[in-house]
Parts: sequence; structure tokens; C-alpha cells
Amino acid sequence: MEDETFLTDDFLRQLINVGEVDILVGLPTHNNARTVGSVVHTIRTCILRNFPRERAVIINADGGSRDGTTELVTGISIGDSRPTSDVYALRTLHSISTRYASTPRSGVALRTILAAAELLRAKACVVMSPDSENIQPEWISNLLRPIYYDGFDLVSPTYRRHKFDGLLMTNLLYPMVRALYGVRLREAYMPEFGFSGRLGNQFLGQNTWNDGTEGNGVELRFALAAITGKYRICQSFIGEKDPTERRGADLVPTLRQTVGVLFSALESDFSQWSSVTGSQAVPTQGTDQEILLNPLRVNRKRLHEMFSIGVAQLESVFQSILSPSTLAELHRISTLGEEAFRYPAELWVRTVYEFASSYQKSIINRDHIIQALAPLFRGRVFTFVVENRNGSAQDVVNNVESLCVEFERLKPYLLERWKSRE
Amino acid sequence: MPVDKDTLWYKDAIIYQVHVRTFHDSNGDGIGDFQGLEQKLDYIQELGVSAIWLMPFFPSPLRDDGYDIADYNTVHSSYGTLDDFQKVLESAHKRGIRIIIEMVLNHTSDQHPWFQEARSSQNNPRRDWYVWSDTDSGYKGTRIIFLDTEKSNWAWDPTSKSFYWHRFFSHQPDLNYDNPAVREQMWNVMKFWLEMGVDGFRLDAIPYLVEREGTNCENLPETHNILKDLRRRLEENFEGRMLLAEANQWPADLRPYFGDGDEFHMAFHFPLMPRMFMGLKLEDRKPITEILRQTPEIPPSCQWSLFLRNHDELTLEMVTDMERDYMYDMYAQNKTMRLNLGIRRRLAPLLNNDRRRIELLNGMLMSMPGTPIIYYGDEIGMGDNITLGDRNGVRTPMQWNGGWNAGFSTADPERLYAPIIHDPVYGYPAVNVVSQGESEHSLLHWMQRIIAVRRSTKVFGRGTIQFLYPANHRILAYLRQFGKETVLVVNNLSSTAQAVELDLRRYKGNILIEMFGDNIFPRVGELPYLLTLGPYQFYWFRLRRV
Repeated sequence: MEDETFLTDDFLRQLINVGEVDILVGLPTHNNARTVGSVVHTIRTCILRNFPRERAVIINADGGSRDGTTELVTGISIGDSRPTSDVYALRTLHSISTRYASTPRSGVALRTILAAAELLRAKACVVMSPDSENIQPEWISNLLRPIYYDGFDLVSPTYRRHKFDGLLMTNLLYPMVRALYGVRLREAYMPEFGFSGRLGNQFLGQNTWNDGTEGNGVELRFALAAITGKYRICQSFIGEKDPTERRGADLVPTLRQTVGVLFSALESDFSQWSSVTGSQAVPTQGTDQEILLNPLRVNRKRLHEMFSIGVAQLESVFQSILSPSTLAELHRISTLGEEAFRYPAELWVRTVYEFASSYQKSIINRDHIIQALAPLFRGRVFTFVVENRNGSAQDVVNNVESLCVEFERLKPYLLERWKSRE
Repeated sequence: MPVDKDTLWYKDAIIYQVHVRTFHDSNGDGIGDFQGLEQKLDYIQELGVSAIWLMPFFPSPLRDDGYDIADYNTVHSSYGTLDDFQKVLESAHKRGIRIIIEMVLNHTSDQHPWFQEARSSQNNPRRDWYVWSDTDSGYKGTRIIFLDTEKSNWAWDPTSKSFYWHRFFSHQPDLNYDNPAVREQMWNVMKFWLEMGVDGFRLDAIPYLVEREGTNCENLPETHNILKDLRRRLEENFEGRMLLAEANQWPADLRPYFGDGDEFHMAFHFPLMPRMFMGLKLEDRKPITEILRQTPEIPPSCQWSLFLRNHDELTLEMVTDMERDYMYDMYAQNKTMRLNLGIRRRLAPLLNNDRRRIELLNGMLMSMPGTPIIYYGDEIGMGDNITLGDRNGVRTPMQWNGGWNAGFSTADPERLYAPIIHDPVYGYPAVNVVSQGESEHSLLHWMQRIIAVRRSTKVFGRGTIQFLYPANHRILAYLRQFGKETVLVVNNLSSTAQAVELDLRRYKGNILIEMFGDNIFPRVGELPYLLTLGPYQFYWFRLRRV
């Protein structure tokens, strides 16, 4: 029943009016009035500048904004019934909005966008973040062009980031996806991404929308679906990532949306990743990473405290999840003072792999497993910050690469744990 | 059925554009002539049009297809005699068909005796009938129109050792309208033909009559004064005649040519034409509604003249660079199809011979505000020959039947003024009047039908237009209203079937009557009126309260 009423009649009516399109820009929103105005103007500028002849539409899937977000989005439409003197366009540009009937969730928003893309037979689609403060027209263009002109199915962004930004990505998601799936995809958890109509349709048709995850981490699932489906994937450099976008996001919910989704996907994808050895580079337009080195204050003391307290308080949980040797080593390093403390790469990889296999076996409540990873991740972040504090960009690259190699080297250990009956 | 006496006849007219040379050859010399045209007047009458616009038929060296006139007061010997023209005029009038002739005011041929005299010496009395200069540096701000062939608007005359001004080809020197003798002489030329009985003039290249330093030499007030004077003389001496302006300009620049109803009766709406093709290719009504929104109101006695194709290239002067690039890529990928700033192709080849699109564009042509002009041969879907130079590819002989020379001439084929189209798709064995006359569903019969429907009401020629803006941008919908009559026009610009909801609440209670089949559609209510249209389909509905 839910599927039958998934798209509202009003939204369907709007889609009928839009008709078939070449380019679809999806914009999930929820109370983003502060930033969404500049985002949609940038999207429109990109379409008019880079795709002036293509039939394009902006689809806004809104989670119930009360701050005028949807009005800002629909207000940038270009048509003849409401002429705009400030822009010139060859053809009509629809910017339409729909409000989905549930609490804000990225999964529902993406599903809405995918459904629209399928109905409109969109050739190239892109999903953009509504809260980006420094978005440029080239971002959208760089995500769309490989789809529209070069036949790729998924375009994942690469960014110019501070060396201490996106540490969950560099210390866990990137190396683990790379080691397990054999694909060196920098941003598997994609805030923005481009995709082909055929990949979107395939993902839309998967029966994973009512799996109880409430659509959390759907962007990561989408990337993994592209990998396992053998779709053509590339990366495209789009610019400097605004570090404020995810500021304030709690670590545990973030871990649920990322690590939790990855661990969950490992179950269904076992037949695929278990046979993969090594990893392959992904075609990349522009650089696959740029690292900023400007001084940034990180509260290392707090990270160290949270690690040590976590290890002490979650002793019984860790006993269920971790092997005795890993747990013993964690105990040992938790006693080290701030100066001496290090969470070595090998130990970190073993920790993550043991969490993954415990998650698969549901040794305890899966959500508790994810929560328990939080203090350990902080310990790893502490180490990464210390090791790269004075490092050059190349040093940072080398350290991340070493970690990746460690994930790949220890992959047999994960397989061993995965298959064991304990 | 003689022509009616209505002085606003041009508002209800449907004009058929013919070049005498291309239409029918009566004496077997390979060139169409007036006697041949007269023999085909029945065909034109059956088509249903109410006026014929004859392209230049004056004596000429024919270096610009007759737009280089060497004598204004007779006809080219290849086309017959003045008597032959008189017979065409009378025969057409008997059939209720008016005759509009071409008049090139701006320039003559360099072979015209006036120019020959003018260049003969600097002291010749006719010297000042043209625009001369010792240098080629005057009027710098003036654009060159024929970019592909001309490098300057000045040409060197070795005879009188000075430069003369020309806006078109260098063999077409501009007349000097600052000279009162020229103005008087050109009125005398017009009077000559008006006294013979012609119903109107298509005045060629009228923005360029006067030159002034520091301007772009187009649309100058002095030009308008000259045109107003011609109109005044026309009104004073000849009732019910019409002046049609050829001014390839933006609508706002065209508006002054109507004056206060005291300059031109009609003017071509040049910017609309390419946008109809653009809207069709984009499947988006925006280019069309935008240009019509920019089109100013004109005096009640005036009228726009609309066309899809004519004897010239599909001009892209009145579009933006982006639009021009788009049009080239969509309609003229083969660069030999491009000429100056335009595309030298006929209607059917431009539309890939897609009958649905040909019908849709003709439907729009016939239902938009203005007087439609049909270019000869387009009513049967004739093709073009892009291997012929200049614009000659769209000026090939009319295809009457599948026999010798397509029924155009009994001459040996090599003597024809131009080769007949002979390709597999558009060649005369496949596309000709006789075969289409025998086929009930031919384009020719369809054209006859739509012309008849158009002429069944004055609403299309005289009515107001109000655009509906349904959310589906592929649908171009508008209401035409005149007196108590209202017609709803709905066009699907898309290659796919479309649904559209129209806000017709103010017509609640009316039923819609489809005008081609007189079939009744559901009554208009409070809710949006839902219509579905097939690919490129269009409807004309008469609204009627019962």
C-alpha cells in the first residue's frame, strides 16, 4: 500500500507537466532556507551555462520545512507564465517541490528523487546537498558531465579538504570499502553525487526501502549498489568541501548511517567482496584529493579522555565483540598517557574487522555494536591527528595509503572471523 | 466571384507567394511566365487563398533573382508582356484573388539607366539619384547584410572614380532618398502599377532608405517620413490598396512602421518565424510566447504578416547567438545549408518531411494573429536543392505532375532556368500536384481544408489573442476572440502524447466544438479542462454556450 501512495497526486501532476528530461537535479531538503536559495541559484546557473539545450528539472524532496525552503526552490523556475528578466534561457526550466509524508529521512528523499527520475526518463541525474555554503556551478557540472557525455553510471565527488576533515572517511570508510570491494572510491558516503538513469532505476527497484533502516545511509548503499552491480563508476573533483556542513553532527548517528550501513551491506554482498583481492583505481576527473594544511585546533585531550573512559566503561560490550588479544591491546594503550598514546593502524584495522564480523553474527544488539565503536574511533582520530600534526600533504596521503594497505593486508583476517562459528 | 470591397481585406487574407519564373512555362522556353501563371489560377483558387504575392518580374540582369531591377515600368521579357500581366490581374480578380506585387524601393540594378547615367559623370543630372562618396569610410556604424559575399557597404565605381553606397550586393546601388526627385519618381512607379489595378505592394528592404552619419542607417525617422508620404499619396488616390513592409527587425523596431495606422498596413513578423521552428525542436512553447509577448500592440487597421518559409533563407538575424547556434545545429548541420545568417531550406526538408510537424506548423501559422503567407510548393511539401547556389535551391520549378519536367515546361530539361527536384523523397515523381489531388489524404488536400476552416471565420485574422499558460510547457494554447466568437487553439509541440489541464473557468458552461470535424467536446466546468493530444497534434475549438 505504501508503494502505491508513495508519490502524491499533486507531485505526479507536476511531473506530467515536466515531461521527459535529459538532466535531473535532486535536492533533498528540510528547513534549509538559510542556504538553499544560493544552492538553487547555483544549480540554475550551471544548467543555463553548461546544459542550455538540455531538458532539465530540479526536483525538491522536502521533509516538511516550515521556513520557506520549498518556496525558494520553486521560485527559480524559468517559464513563460512568469518571465524573469534577470536570466536568459533557451527553454523552460521547471523547479518543483514535493513534501513526503514522513519525518525527514534521506532515504525517503532519495527514493522520491529516483522515482521522479524514472518517470521522467532522466538520462543524467545529480543529487546536491542543500546546505552547502560554497557550492559552485562547476560542482554540478562536474558530477553531470561524466554521466551525460561519457556514459558513466555513478560519479562520486572528491574534494579539497583539510587534513583533519572527513576523518571517518579517511580512517574507516574509504580504506574498508577499498579493501573489501576492491574499488578505490574516496567518498563512498556521498553528500553529492551524479548517477545515470539506469543505475537510478535499478536501485529504485531494489527491495531495500522497507528494510527497517529508515533509509539511513542510503547514499552509501547507492554507491555500494553501483560497485556490486558492476556499473561504470568515476570520481570527479568538485572543489573545497565546506567543513561546516557536518559540524555538530553527533558521532553515533553518523556511525549508524555509515559504518552501520557498510556492515549491514557486507552481509548481502558477501559473495562479491569475499572473492575480491587487491583494489583498483577509479577513473578520476581532476585530482582525487587535495589537502589543506592550515592550522586547525583539535581537542586531543578530550579525544584521549573519551577513548580511555569508553574502553573502561564498555568493557563487557567489548568482551562480546572483540577477540581477547585485540581487547588486551586496547586495555594496554588505554593506560598510556596522552603523549605516549597511539592507536596503531594494524590494531585499528583488526578492531574494525572484529566489529564487522560481530555485527554480522549479531553477537549483541547491532546498534550497541555501532555505538561501542565511537570511543575507539576517537582514539584512532587522536592518533591520526598526532601523526599528521606537522605532516605535509604528501605525508598525510602516505599515511592514509598505509592504512588502506593495512586494511587490504588484513582482509583474510576478516574473512576468517566472518566464517568462524564463534 | 470578384474581390470584395472590404478595405481591411488584408486582415482576412491568405496569401500565396509565387515567382512567375518558377510557376508554369507556357511557351516552352524553360522559364515560367505570366501566361503560364494564368493557366494555373484555377489551382490557386482551389487551394483557397485570397491573394497572390508576385515576386519581382521586372526587367533585370537577374543577379539577385529580380531584386536588381533595371526598369520599373514593364515586365521582364522572359515572363511575357505587360498585357500578359494585365490578363493575370484581371483573371485573378474575377476569381476573388488579389494581386500584390513586389516593389524594390531601396536600390536598383547597376544596369538601370538611372545608375548608368549617374555614373557617367559627376555632373550628370542623375548623379545625385544615388549615394556617392570620395572615400569608403562613411556610415561606419552600418552592418553588412550579405556577410558571405560583401566586405563593405561601399563599392568602387571605376567609371566615375568614386564610391557608391549599397546595403545589399555591390551590383545594387542604393537610391538617394534625400533627393526629392527620387522620391517623386518612385511614387510615379507605384502609381503606374496601382492604376493598372494591383492591390498592394510588398515593399522590399524598407529600413534602409535613408543614410545618416553616426547612426546604423536603419529605421531612421527620415525613412519613416518618406514612407508616410507614400502612404498618404496612396490613401488619397487609391482606395483599398495595401502596403506590406519587409523589415527584418525586432518587433519594437518594427512597430514604428505601422505609425498611427498611417504608414504600413502590414509588416512581416520576422522574429516569430525562427522561434516557431525553435519551439518545435525544443518541444517548448517558451520561444514563441516570449517573442509574442515582446510584440507591441499595433493600430487596429494594421496587421502582422506571418510565414513559415519564403524565397529567402530562414533568417536568423533576429535571434540571439545561442539561439542561432541551436538552430544551425538542429536544422542545418550540413554547412552548405547555411547562407548569410540563415538556413536556405524549404519547409518539408526542414521538418524531415514529417507530415505531423508540417501540419502543426501550418496550424500555428493559420491560427496566430496575422495574415499567413504560403510559399509556392510548400502546400505539396516540395523539397529543395542545396547544391544550387545562393537561395536558388528553394526557387526550383513547381512540380505539377510526374511527367516531362514535372509538368512545368515542355522545354528540353537542360533549358530550364533551374533543375527540377529529382531526389527520391522530394522528387517530382513522388511530390506533385496531380498525384496529391488524387489522394484524399494528401498534404495538398489537408492544406485546402485548413485554409477553408481558417477562412470560415474572421476570428483568426482580426481577433485578439490571449495565451493560456498551462503548466505543461509543451503545450501552446491560446484563445482568439473577435466579437462574440471565441476560438481555443491547443498545439502539442512534443513528439510524444501529452496531457494538459487548461484553466477555462471563465468559459464555464461552454461546449467546445472541434472546428475540423464539427465534433462536440465536453462542457467546460469549474475544474481544469483536461485534454490529451497525440504527438504534434493540434486542436481548434469554437467555444459555444448552449
